[in-house]
Amino acid sequence: MPEPSRRSLLSPALWGGAAAAAGLALGALWMARRPPRRAREGMAPAARTAHGAAMERHLARRLDEAGTMLSLSVLADSAMEHYRGRFHDPFMYAAPAAAALSLARGGPGSGRRTAHGAAALTGAVGTGFHVYNVVARRESGLTWNSLFYGAPLGAPAALVLAGMAGLAAAQLRVEAREGEPASIAGAPAAPLVALGTALGLLGTTAEVALLHFRGAFQDPWMYVPVTLPPTAALALALTVLRPTPATIAAARRLLQATTAMGLAGAGFHAYGIHRNMGGWANWSQMLLQGPPLPAPPSFTGVALAGLGALDLMESER
Amino acid sequence: MSAEDTPRAVHGRAPDVFRRGGWVPMRCFDDEEEVDFAIVGTGAGGGTLAARLAEAGFSVVAFDVGAFYRPLEDFASDEREQSKLYWRDERVSGGEHPISLGSNNSGQSVGGSTVHFQMVTLRFRPEWFKARTKLGYGRDWPVGWREMWGYYAKAEAAMAISGPISYPWGPPRGRYPYRAHEVNAAGQVLVRGARAMGVAWAPTPLATISAPRGLAHPCVYRGFCKSGCSTNAKQSVLVTYIPRALKAGAEVRDLAMVGQIETDDAGRATGVVYYRDGRWRRQRARNVVAAGYSIETPRLLLNSATARFPDGLANSSGTVGTHLMVHSNHAVWGEMDEEIRWYKGPPSMAVCEHWNYEDQKDFHGGYAFMSQGPLPVDYAQSFVSNTGVWGMELRRRMANYNRMAGLKIVGETMPQEKNGVTLAEERDRFGLPVARVTFGYCDNDRRLYEHSLRFMRRMLKAAGAGDLFETESTAHLMGGCPMGFKPDDSVTDADGRTWDIDNLWICDGSLFPTAGGVNPSLTIVAMAERIADRIVALAGRGELERRGRRLGALAG
Repeated sequence: MPEPSRRSLLSPALWGGAAAAAGLALGALWMARRPPRRAREGMAPAARTAHGAAMERHLARRLDEAGTMLSLSVLADSAMEHYRGRFHDPFMYAAPAAAALSLARGGPGSGRRTAHGAAALTGAVGTGFHVYNVVARRESGLTWNSLFYGAPLGAPAALVLAGMAGLAAAQLRVEAREGEPASIAGAPAAPLVALGTALGLLGTTAEVALLHFRGAFQDPWMYVPVTLPPTAALALALTVLRPTPATIAAARRLLQATTAMGLAGAGFHAYGIHRNMGGWANWSQMLLQGPPLPAPPSFTGVALAGLGALDLMESER
Repeated sequence: MSAEDTPRAVHGRAPDVFRRGGWVPMRCFDDEEEVDFAIVGTGAGGGTLAARLAEAGFSVVAFDVGAFYRPLEDFASDEREQSKLYWRDERVSGGEHPISLGSNNSGQSVGGSTVHFQMVTLRFRPEWFKARTKLGYGRDWPVGWREMWGYYAKAEAAMAISGPISYPWGPPRGRYPYRAHEVNAAGQVLVRGARAMGVAWAPTPLATISAPRGLAHPCVYRGFCKSGCSTNAKQSVLVTYIPRALKAGAEVRDLAMVGQIETDDAGRATGVVYYRDGRWRRQRARNVVAAGYSIETPRLLLNSATARFPDGLANSSGTVGTHLMVHSNHAVWGEMDEEIRWYKGPPSMAVCEHWNYEDQKDFHGGYAFMSQGPLPVDYAQSFVSNTGVWGMELRRRMANYNRMAGLKIVGETMPQEKNGVTLAEERDRFGLPVARVTFGYCDNDRRLYEHSLRFMRRMLKAAGAGDLFETESTAHLMGGCPMGFKPDDSVTDADGRTWDIDNLWICDGSLFPTAGGVNPSLTIVAMAERIADRIVALAGRGELERRGRRLGALAG
């Protein structure tokens, strides 16, 4: 395969476009899956309970999907980035290991919760390590240079989100089985997941903003993941305050767009790798040097949880 | 066919610097066709001006004696091979402190020295533009700092400089187009030292991109910057302004040595005589711009002497070939306990300009110093020639290459009339008299570099280095055809227009009235941007053909 500078720009553009289109199609398929029908007026109490349980299972499924997506993203991203860092600290193995465990979801019952709990804990501790790396381990202390090139501060939080999504899903499944109303840690599930998603989107955006700023927003598309997700987060937060059909519909569309954006982002990053020296012909170096290929789908993961919350919110209205 | 043997930019096409074996269309002019501008040199001054003037609609032919390279295929990861980018033609160097010529003060390729420069792009301290009035040394520039600040921003945008978010010295500047690169381990040594000494530091603003830009790949920290960047991350004039110039309809003639600027009986320039493809030819032009840098520009003006201008063109003041300046390049080196691997990344990733902005010191002028990362041959050469170490001891010292760190200054020297360029008896491969370069430090220069050696010694020690040693050398050239306020003590006005011949211009580092304590390339590019704007403005007023009345009166 010739170097990018020898290839015409057309083929990679087509190739990147195809990847982005495939991402969008996948996202569309995902979103087309319907939640259980809404509860109707005059439903028999038993049917209503059954419907509530179905909705709980639906949200649990969405949360599991969110956790899966996030864990996949963290597994690939942390494995690549920590490999790049030569796993110089043995604890660096913990991130991909915890993400893999969370993906495998341990065994049934308590094993599942342990796996997700471990992932969340690893993410929290990992954040501490990353802060230490940026602030204390560098000669210059806390500077833009260490923020740009030190361990990414926000990255381990994706593992926290993955673990929490998994834990919440497990809780909802128990409640569905026992016929209890959807709640997580004593709070109603729908608004809690919505707020968690909004926070997760804002946190992810902060991370992306830092790194795309480092990349000087050299491609105007780089502005999309720092504008769309926070808008979706605000819309989602608004549904908690005023869960009207209009606010829910708006938040849903923005979250759907965010879901698709996360998948398309991987396509854009693939194109970004092509634009580095040697491009894909030199993949073993440029996967590490170029934009992180597995990072953008974490937006998809976070947004999916929010979509689940909206479904539940709608059925509870 | 190698780029050094046969001209590449011929028959309506020029090399595409972004594609192996690629070509871009190029407008070609006939020798007999009187073009608006014949520009001699395609580096930071000439290349920039060619692009800007062509974009403004002028017909432009730019000449360069060097080859037209495609970095992706022509640049090897080999220091010796890449010395092809240096000016290796014969010159005579003399004076009290003869400077070594070639590697770090003059280039020979389309794009000029920017093809092998180390990409350090610092702005002048504002006060330096009024060095005489505000700081009491040298001479004032006929250009104000506020105006230059705007042109610096333009130059930085054109070269997509990767620089820090905030710069600790001088008045605020806008955001650099690209973010600073990660400071390498060699730079971290400077950071540690700066913190210990209580002085500020910054990631060096560099002309190598930290993210993709068009067809140019981001820097891969290959470390061969001084030997030519084979990835096109380096934003040299070859990959920035030259493609712009070609696109706008300029012609670039590679392997074309201009030997003389011709003048008519009225004392106006009529074109240039140049050697290309085995024969001497003549290009007619309405304006001629000398942009060959501090040695070749004076050499060309002196060699173009006629009965009417017996001392050389534009030399009624006798200042052509005078006031040549270098940067003293003194350095302190030491061994660290830990591995540094200073060859990784651009050589100078951290900078300290403390002594450019601090005036409590025993010398005029200033110096910046930077972390270092010489490649092995470069390092060995400097080490051996400065210390005389040889044999097993040299072997032992070279084995420590990966644990070395160093700090090196860009030290301002004073403009002295005796330092300069004259024509020697010897002739080069074109039969032209070679340049004789004369240089000697003055007392102030010595106080400056001795101060720097003391300071860097303490700083490197504070950063944990042992077994310190010092080296001396010079880098860069400035002056030789100073611009100024009056025809009797300078060669050109603020626009680079020579006082004596109103259609003969100079656009390169030879215009510098003072050297400043920073690498000159960015200032040369910024000045070329300004000169281009001035030419366009003058043309708009119909003052290209004849100097404006006020200035004409002054010149007369």
